[in-house]
Amino acid sequence: MSTPTHHSTTHSLSTTGLTKSFGGVRAVDDASVTFHEGEINALIGPNGSGKTTFFNCVTGMIRPDSGTVSYQGRDVTGLPPHRIARSGIGRSFQLCRIFPRLTVLENVLVAVQPHGLLQRLRGSRNAADVGRARELLARVGIDHLEHAEARDISYGQQKLLELAGVLMGDPHTIMLDEPAGGVNPALVDRIADLVRELNAEGRTFIIVEHNMELVMGLSDHVVVFDRGRPIAQGTPAVVQDDPLVLEAYLGV
Amino acid sequence: MPNASSPTGAARPAASSPTGARPTAVRVARTAGLLALVAVVLLFPSLAADPFILSVGVVILSYAVLATSWNLVGGFTGYISLGHAAYSGLGGYATALLILRTGMNPWLALLAGGLIVAAVAIPVGIASLRVRGASFVITSIALVLILQLTFQSWHTFTGGSNGLRVPRPFGTEVLRPEQHERFFYLHAGLLALALLTWWLIERSRLGAGLKAIREDEDKAQALGVPTFAYKLTALVVSAFFTALGGGLYALWFGYLDPIFQFSILVGTYMVLMSLLGGVRSLFGPLLGAVVVGYAVEVFKSQYGDTQLHLVATGVLLGLVVLFMPDGVIPALTSFVNRRRGAASIREVSAEELAQQREEAAR
Repeated sequence: MSTPTHHSTTHSLSTTGLTKSFGGVRAVDDASVTFHEGEINALIGPNGSGKTTFFNCVTGMIRPDSGTVSYQGRDVTGLPPHRIARSGIGRSFQLCRIFPRLTVLENVLVAVQPHGLLQRLRGSRNAADVGRARELLARVGIDHLEHAEARDISYGQQKLLELAGVLMGDPHTIMLDEPAGGVNPALVDRIADLVRELNAEGRTFIIVEHNMELVMGLSDHVVVFDRGRPIAQGTPAVVQDDPLVLEAYLGV
Repeated sequence: MPNASSPTGAARPAASSPTGARPTAVRVARTAGLLALVAVVLLFPSLAADPFILSVGVVILSYAVLATSWNLVGGFTGYISLGHAAYSGLGGYATALLILRTGMNPWLALLAGGLIVAAVAIPVGIASLRVRGASFVITSIALVLILQLTFQSWHTFTGGSNGLRVPRPFGTEVLRPEQHERFFYLHAGLLALALLTWWLIERSRLGAGLKAIREDEDKAQALGVPTFAYKLTALVVSAFFTALGGGLYALWFGYLDPIFQFSILVGTYMVLMSLLGGVRSLFGPLLGAVVVGYAVEVFKSQYGDTQLHLVATGVLLGLVVLFMPDGVIPALTSFVNRRRGAASIREVSAEELAQQREEAAR
């Protein structure tokens, strides 16, 4: 489905020398990564290799100690998360985060936050916003649950809800932290299909994932992390045979 | 699971609800309830047996104003301020001092006092809204204690611990019962304004963002909610209404004492009332104020100047947290829903969904 665009040399999201330490541990260590615009990028690596910290630095949840993050030619290092979200980077969280006491529909409507006081004071349940939210809920397949509180739906449905919420912000780049973690195989396929569809619409994906079958089947470009920095990158086939990657994963 | 690769929901009317007749019945019940509430408030002064009962009514409405104002920040964002007496106290003092020192019209002074306190809330919010949870609670307590000490010691300006006499806005020729009645309606009007503000914010995109902050602040920010600006907005609006409540009470009561104006107890009452009624409900704090306010007055009149009413309040809070953690209104609502046999998850059946789609396609 996805059409790898080999000529894509315009780099939408990249980092240079990104570093973040917690105490004495360098979770992200001088990481310079360039993700491919318009493709499905995967970020893999052993547990504790700094993938999630890297994600958090890029999306502004954590301020990096040094290094830069640039997006579409703009330095976005250290911007607050909502500014980064509005610049076009949407993200999901590891273990899935939704607003448990809001309804499914309200969860999606949260992502409509335009500029200007009058815009913000506008009713959140206006026809246009609600219509679009329902469209997205239908797209991920949980529109029949719109009135349920988000805490009452299943974990898999919550994952789909989180994705619908991210899509409501109409992000150009979507970062997913373990989208297949803890969900059944049928749903993994469904999420993979959604990612392919959304990618075909022109959205760039950056996916942290441990499910290797999914990663290899889905992604165009794979970045392998070990000890806080990229040790290999390339197509799934190239990365799979890289001796450094085998060493990092298997310790051989 | 419906496979909707081509979205069909777009044309559906926004107001459509999956459960058909239910919303109209709810709307009728709500309107009737609201009208009944307005009627009770309007008729109370003529039904009150004596001026004392009427004055209890004023006290309860004053609590309702404060609790509803508190809920503008506490209920929406989940930031529990125990020191909201800082804003009601400052509102009272600002109003009184503007009248005494500048000879300003009392009503103008009340409004100006509210605006001054709202302005004060900006730097306070910038400093204190950086921390969450227990740390925020502690900063809110610190604020009210600092103000108490300041207003007690600054004799030349605030009258210090001798207190401050506030001139009566209606003059001495208006008798006590008449005073009570006028202030009862004034408080009712202010309460209506605070409730209207809460209602408007609740429906807005701002409100959606604030509630998201209450649920998961980081997640809200990742979805593009400017969390800090939103929290600050809620705090400033809340401080404004709390100050108006404090100022109006000062004009009625006629006397300010820093010990009572800047007391933790008043802030605690605002929290207790809101929790009791339900912080997620428009009328939750009002209901809580009626219950707690009435109980406190009864205990005071029955047992005199003991601390028994505090014990009773504590027991009440414990019971509510144990058995109705969301407050009385949500507990009643879910009880009614269960009696009606409504499912807790209102899931649309396959036929209903197909029907909706068909309607949309037409």
